[in-house]
Amino acid sequence: MGIRWQHIALWIAFIVVMLALPEFVSKGTLRTIIFANFLAIFAISWDVLSGRTGYISFGHPFLIGIGAYTSAILSYRFGFPVAASIPLAVVATMIGGTLFFLPALRIRGSYFALVTLAFMELMYQLVQVIRPDLTGGTRGMSGIETITRGAVNNYYLSFSLMVIIALAMWLVMKTRLGTALSAIGMNEESVRGSGLDTTKLKLAAFMIAAFIAGLGGAFYVHYLGSIAPRALFDINFLFTIIVAALIGGASTIIGPMIGAFFLTFLLEYLRPVLPGAERYFIYGGIALILYMYQPKGIYEVAKQGWGRLRAVRAGAGP
Amino acid sequence: MSYPLELKDVVKRFGGLTATNHMSFNVENGESLGLIGPNGAGKTTIFSLIMGEHRQTAGEILCNGEDISALPTYARIGRGVCRTYQIPRPFAEMDVLENIRLGLMPNSIWQMLTRNPDRYKEIELALSVGFSENDLNRHPAELSMGDLRKLELARTLATDPSIMLLDEVFAGLTAGEIAQIADLINKKREAGMTLIIVSHDLRSLEPLIDRAIAMNHGSIVAEGSFAKVMADPDVRASYLGGE
Repeated sequence: MGIRWQHIALWIAFIVVMLALPEFVSKGTLRTIIFANFLAIFAISWDVLSGRTGYISFGHPFLIGIGAYTSAILSYRFGFPVAASIPLAVVATMIGGTLFFLPALRIRGSYFALVTLAFMELMYQLVQVIRPDLTGGTRGMSGIETITRGAVNNYYLSFSLMVIIALAMWLVMKTRLGTALSAIGMNEESVRGSGLDTTKLKLAAFMIAAFIAGLGGAFYVHYLGSIAPRALFDINFLFTIIVAALIGGASTIIGPMIGAFFLTFLLEYLRPVLPGAERYFIYGGIALILYMYQPKGIYEVAKQGWGRLRAVRAGAGP
Repeated sequence: MSYPLELKDVVKRFGGLTATNHMSFNVENGESLGLIGPNGAGKTTIFSLIMGEHRQTAGEILCNGEDISALPTYARIGRGVCRTYQIPRPFAEMDVLENIRLGLMPNSIWQMLTRNPDRYKEIELALSVGFSENDLNRHPAELSMGDLRKLELARTLATDPSIMLLDEVFAGLTAGEIAQIADLINKKREAGMTLIIVSHDLRSLEPLIDRAIAMNHGSIVAEGSFAKVMADPDVRASYLGGE
């Protein structure tokens, strides 16, 4: 599978540092990291589907929304314990993911992206109109049960969830399934010509992506304690997810994580200087320059830098 | 008697264009059949129909007596039929071995997840088509046209076929590369593989086939030994454009 001890060592080091972090940083920073953790989960979900297979989803908030709304409605309206509402939300998201998958049987590229964008918009409109007594309509719901309280606890919870998903996906993508999904992104016809059922493979990618999005969405709503359609089915939220995956390094696991942290902190540090929407301008500019310099993202830049450093140290440098 | 591959009265229309017009032919076990004809004669369409990339408008395609007309491409490959393309289609961001890995993959997600790739077999296939050990980690962008054809052959051979459809395998190759590929095809022939070869390079094609079918406008013009087909006045007319 190509797992080297350096990989394991890096994972362990990363986990140890992150677990020790609450001792060293402020609660405000922890809250920022909590958002980064959730963004990383959503970006990994997006990447499994779009980064690998090339079926660009512009409707990921649709999947996240199913997870979030299902769990919120079940616990807030029907008194389900969170331990039951979250798994049910994941199941609901996977059913929603099947719906999401249907256009992928026939179309790809920008057409697929547009259809998925329509899914998100449809969900945004429906949530406000259909059964507002359940969804809370335009205003959404607040006072939803939270799993735990305080920045530190929520930090540990969100980090554990993120790292478990990331590790699991890292292992899955190291197998031949990961290779096959990436191959679909490069040339779907050739995958078919290699004797593989691409419909089955794509369905697997959609189900994995929906599983992660549903899980992340459900945990996220029980962290926030509130939900509103405007915040969730929002084009800015969607682009933050996509840009996180792309800027960090699509088709990897570490890339979307790096991208999510980079973006979250970038926006956070820009906030005191540029409190308004201008900071999205700066963030867009930085994303664009980075992407033009290295389309494979920050991860690739770091990898090349590391390689050069090693070459210089070994005396083989230019 | 059933043939490894048999087409019965196959018709394919693309809108108003009839690309395949009531074609019937078969190949025998271990036979090498050449499919020749001018551009647009419908040779590649035949391959697409056999592989299920397009569905025929009418007629039957049989594989060892079984009608495979309704089967998806992967199921046909599972029955031992495979093809190469006129323009090689490698996976651009994967090296030679990873490209071959795709062909070796079982069509089962569970097995993909639980079993490791067979590296030994990947290397064996790569070397068998003429790659050197230095090539194994090269990416398609670093390969010549001849190497890309070899790569495609290796990936296709990885699906363990008994019938191979080779589409313009000599196009864009140097004389040396043509000799290499021809040698490879001959080896497969000796090993009992059933082949259908489409080529414009008739001189290179001739020694590789037992029988030829000339087609034009989606129909068979002549059939028989290479010499007999080439002597046919209709074939000459279709190539030279005369009446």
